[in-house]
Amino acid sequence: MEEYEHVEILLAEDNPHDAELAIRGLKKHKLANNIVWVKNGEQALDYVFRRGEFEGRSSDAPRLILLDLKMPKVDGIEVTRIVKSDERTRHIPVVIMTSSKEEKDIADSYRCGANSYIVKPLDFASLVEVAAQVGFYWLAINRPRP
Amino acid sequence: MTRRGAAHSVRSKLLLGVLATTGAALLITAAAVAYYDLRSFRNNLVSDITAIADILGLAATPALEFDDPPAASAYLGLLRAKPGVTAAAIYAANGALFAKYVPGGAPLPDLPEGDGYRFADGKLVLFKRIVAHNEILGTVYVEARYDLGRRLANYLGILAAVLLASLGAAALIAHRLHRGIVGPIASVADIAHAVLERRDFSRRATKTSDDEIGVLVDAFNNMLDEVGERTAVLERTQEELKTLNAELEHRVAARTAQLEAANKELESFSYSVSHDLRAPLRAVGGFAELLWEDHAADLNAEAQRKLGVIRSEAARMGALIDDLLAFSRLGRKSLQPAELDMAALVDNVFARLRTEAGGERVELRVGRLPQAYGDRALLEQVWVNLLSNAIKFSSKKEQPVVEVGAISEEHEHVYYVRDNGAGFDPRYKAKLFGVFQRLHDGSEFPGTGVGLALVQRIVLRHGGRVWADGKPDEGATFYFTLPKEVGDGGV
Repeated sequence: MEEYEHVEILLAEDNPHDAELAIRGLKKHKLANNIVWVKNGEQALDYVFRRGEFEGRSSDAPRLILLDLKMPKVDGIEVTRIVKSDERTRHIPVVIMTSSKEEKDIADSYRCGANSYIVKPLDFASLVEVAAQVGFYWLAINRPRP
Repeated sequence: MTRRGAAHSVRSKLLLGVLATTGAALLITAAAVAYYDLRSFRNNLVSDITAIADILGLAATPALEFDDPPAASAYLGLLRAKPGVTAAAIYAANGALFAKYVPGGAPLPDLPEGDGYRFADGKLVLFKRIVAHNEILGTVYVEARYDLGRRLANYLGILAAVLLASLGAAALIAHRLHRGIVGPIASVADIAHAVLERRDFSRRATKTSDDEIGVLVDAFNNMLDEVGERTAVLERTQEELKTLNAELEHRVAARTAQLEAANKELESFSYSVSHDLRAPLRAVGGFAELLWEDHAADLNAEAQRKLGVIRSEAARMGALIDDLLAFSRLGRKSLQPAELDMAALVDNVFARLRTEAGGERVELRVGRLPQAYGDRALLEQVWVNLLSNAIKFSSKKEQPVVEVGAISEEHEHVYYVRDNGAGFDPRYKAKLFGVFQRLHDGSEFPGTGVGLALVQRIVLRHGGRVWADGKPDEGATFYFTLPKEVGDGGV
């Protein structure tokens, strides 16, 4: 379970290409060193609440959760609602990733309690903007590992 | 009840008319007859009594000549056969009473008078001289009853009886007339009433005569035919109209439902376009980008060029999808119209475009711009699209100039944006406002071809029109109108 230590970002994305591009974008700009990628909302919730396959992981909460809006089983909106309604996880910043700037998606994102939204693909400018919005300036800093 | 009253009144009028006519004729006739009769009665009396006096004079002549009063008295006594004579006397030439006849004991005049007669106190008094051999022998005096009052009373009695009889006859005639004239009229009135009350146009008045009333009945019946026919047509039309209306409402409801369904479908379609269509495109663009970043050094020039095409085309398709979605969203979004300061809007938009779209060199000339009534966000989009086009297409000129102005007409404001840029071939004017229609090479002037279509759609939704003028290399002018009156168009 060593790989789950010091998790900085939890990425929930069902599309492997989108996930690859996102991870690549984050790492390329040295925005995060430790990213956990899950493929749907159910896994994301399992990870956050340390259950199922993630039962034994360390008790550290991720510093940021990036959620794809549309995912099989449990979508990003639902995950956000659950995370934001639980006392233990409410403080974790959640950012919804959408495919478009459709008003409906943006409105839904904010309504369920997300801290921000970001339009895919995650390019440098939008990542920095989102980091500032959720108050995670560390994301933008090239922080050497201790 | 007024109808009954009217019939009644016709009846009494008729009766009154007949009675008045009869009465008047009778009265005039009676008056004329009475006058004539009373006159001849009087004349007859005078000539009668004159004759009696003459006879008495002739008869009494010898008695006077021989001074034989009893003989004269005997003659006078003959007057008993004439009851109208109330007194008579013969006076001698010297004026002394010679003989007398007074059955009632009436007083006699003391002295005789000259020839003549007079009427007094209901009596005719007559003096007649007795002349023989040109010598006045004496005077005859006759007094007779002249009873005009009784005669008149008789007359009035007869007249009253005749009048009564004729009035009775007149009343009878009037009654007959009533049956013949008022009866049919009243029956016409009854039927008219029934028709009015029960809307029963099948009833007809019966014709009883061929006179004017018969004509009236015919006319009334014809009128009923006509009215009945027209009412039937009217009712049928009304019924049809009702059915049509109901049908129309039904159809409108069905269409509305269809439209709503279509709108929903379109919404979910564009939603799925924006999500599902983008995912593979994102992979194409993203991985082309990765290829470029990670392996550019391994590729030769031609491979790099081809990769560049993939990258730029993927980006262009992203832009097309964005614009197409914006365009389709526009049709569904409801307008939120308000008073708009167009001059401020243009200044605002131009200031932004000047830095964004590389319009630093462009000179902007703004004329008078009247206020408009419309959706702020959408009309701002119109200015953005028109001004960015003007900047884009004039950017290759040495001194690019963009001119904005308006002309106010009776019902609308005509706004325009003019540039001195690349212009267009007027033959392709009709294609300017079509979606994805471009008149210029993408390499020369980039764009997706949605901007003007968007402008047209926004302006049409506001109840206005769009058109353009231009010539190649001589610039272009784009016009759009907005109605002056609120609610004059689609707003």
